[in-house]
Amino acid sequence: MKADCRDLEKALAGENPVLAAAFEVHALGCAACGRELSEWRRISEAAASLRRAWESPELLPRIRQALAEESVRAATDTDASPRRRFVWVPAASIAALFVLATVGLWVFRNGGGREPLTDHWRTTKAPLLTDQAIDEVDAAERVYLSSIENLSRLAEPALSGAMSPVLANYREKLVVLDAAITELKASIEQNRGNTHLRRELLAVYQEKQRTLQSLMKEVKS
Amino acid sequence: MKSIAMNLLGRHADAEDAVQEAFLRIFRGAARFRGGASVSTWAYRILVNVCYDMRRRGRRRPESPLPEESELRGGALRDHPLRLAIEKALEHLDPRERTAFLLCEVEGFSHREAGEILEVTENTSRTLLFRAKRRLQKELASGGAFAPAEAR
Repeated sequence: MKADCRDLEKALAGENPVLAAAFEVHALGCAACGRELSEWRRISEAAASLRRAWESPELLPRIRQALAEESVRAATDTDASPRRRFVWVPAASIAALFVLATVGLWVFRNGGGREPLTDHWRTTKAPLLTDQAIDEVDAAERVYLSSIENLSRLAEPALSGAMSPVLANYREKLVVLDAAITELKASIEQNRGNTHLRRELLAVYQEKQRTLQSLMKEVKS
Repeated sequence: MKSIAMNLLGRHADAEDAVQEAFLRIFRGAARFRGGASVSTWAYRILVNVCYDMRRRGRRRPESPLPEESELRGGALRDHPLRLAIEKALEHLDPRERTAFLLCEVEGFSHREAGEILEVTENTSRTLLFRAKRRLQKELASGGAFAPAEAR
């Protein structure tokens, strides 16, 4: 293939590598085209130096703080939004049943049903968020997590053989969510009573659940 | 992400604000992500939109003293006249052309990825980059930015 001055625009556009190569040969013997090509390359070379990097040690803590505040706001908003309230209904029902059962057991086991619960709180110096309460949250989380894991197992065959870009994107999103779950769990291990982190973890679990559900829909369709 | 924001907004402080705002929008919009694009290009699209919004609002906050831009890739070119001329000339480009240039030539995204970020096809991304470079070339040539190297 031969190229000449009229091919300049097409060659610079870079859509056709064969034409671009032929134009380079032409430019060796043509001063005007050689200059155009040289300027074009120099822009690309200089562009690489426009990439910026600077230290900003305060940025990540700022983002974490903003996300924690946002997750608290989001949890509060669920009370106001009918659509979101619907999403919470099954989880909230299970959690409410679990809390009722646990409180019931606790009352009868510790007080034998004789002592009113409020009196017990008045006479003890236990902090509001006790280890026991945290254990209960952990147990509820395990129940919720196992249902998500069931969904994950259902989705696994579709994801492992994912050929389409859409399924690959779902897989990528799930990898990101799993990484976030791992990181949050590690942070919670160091501070078990941090309610912000637990809300964030719940939000990520919910997102994983929604993602798996829409993935299953995608697979079926 | 900071690099793109910095090149679109021109100030470190604004770039960091944009990245933070982008993370918040990603958090809020996670439920709406349906796998039409990769997570990374979706996140960058949000960042670019945040930067556009900030530019539209003309938001500027005073630049606090920051450490020197330390590790620029190709650090030797840091004060290269051509680089400075490109930075200046970029301001005269159409926003989408400027973003296509920053994504492909500066950040190294492919046209497929840049297309997803800009919500255009791969071919349109290629066209936007071509137009951007052509305009830059004309602007730089008329300003004599290529002259020093020609003389070498």
